[in-house]
Amino acid sequence: MPGMSVTSEALPKGVLLTVEGQIDMHTSPDLRAKLRECLEKKANPILVDLTKVGFIDSSGLATLIEALQAVGRYGGKLRLFGLVPAVRNLFKLSKLFTIFDIRESREDATR
Amino acid sequence: MSAPPEVSVDAHLVSHPRFIQFVRLLAGEGASLAGFADEDRDRIELAVVEGFTNVIRHGYGGKTDQRVDIRLEAPPGRLRIELVDWATFVDPAKIVSRPLDHVRPGGLGVHLMKSTMDVVDYLKNAHGGTTLVLEKRVSPT
Repeated sequence: MPGMSVTSEALPKGVLLTVEGQIDMHTSPDLRAKLRECLEKKANPILVDLTKVGFIDSSGLATLIEALQAVGRYGGKLRLFGLVPAVRNLFKLSKLFTIFDIRESREDATR
Repeated sequence: MSAPPEVSVDAHLVSHPRFIQFVRLLAGEGASLAGFADEDRDRIELAVVEGFTNVIRHGYGGKTDQRVDIRLEAPPGRLRIELVDWATFVDPAKIVSRPLDHVRPGGLGVHLMKSTMDVVDYLKNAHGGTTLVLEKRVSPT
């Protein structure tokens, strides 16, 4: 069964991480490692494409919260986009929908 | 339309995170066969994954070679899933979620289970461990 993959793309301004698969206790360390690379470079903004992520659990949320807090420490932005309904509902259930900067599309996220 | 078929599955796994995707798919398929709509199916998958993750992280302290059984039953109108471990039973009163307004990593698993399922219960089992019981009724359409 496929787990998760993360690809990184340098943008004229910031970095785009494209995630595919599910983000859980098993796979979130790989996403955390990719986010850390961006954070060490003080990338700004960090855009995370979740279009092809069908499932996130609390371990995945924890990874994203860590990154949100870390990027805020150097005044950067973390933006998520492309949330499928299951992922969108998770953010609502966790009362995190207003904490994160969530956009509909890549175009919205790069504005 | 005929009633959905009754489902009964008993799976024996070990406490390794690589089984999370299998656990999710099992819960999701059970939910679909029991007649749940997509949104409830997503919620059931989330609750069962959170339960399995908590067994690994808290029940077994991160040990990845311990036994975890999953029992899934779908009598008419509901779905019942049990996660059985051989760890030490923990007083359910001590299993709490963090306040949602304290935004920090971790501590959301119990909240997510309780907000997605009708029943979340922790029972001491015959092995001295915990049986986590998750139940949800099918919403009338």
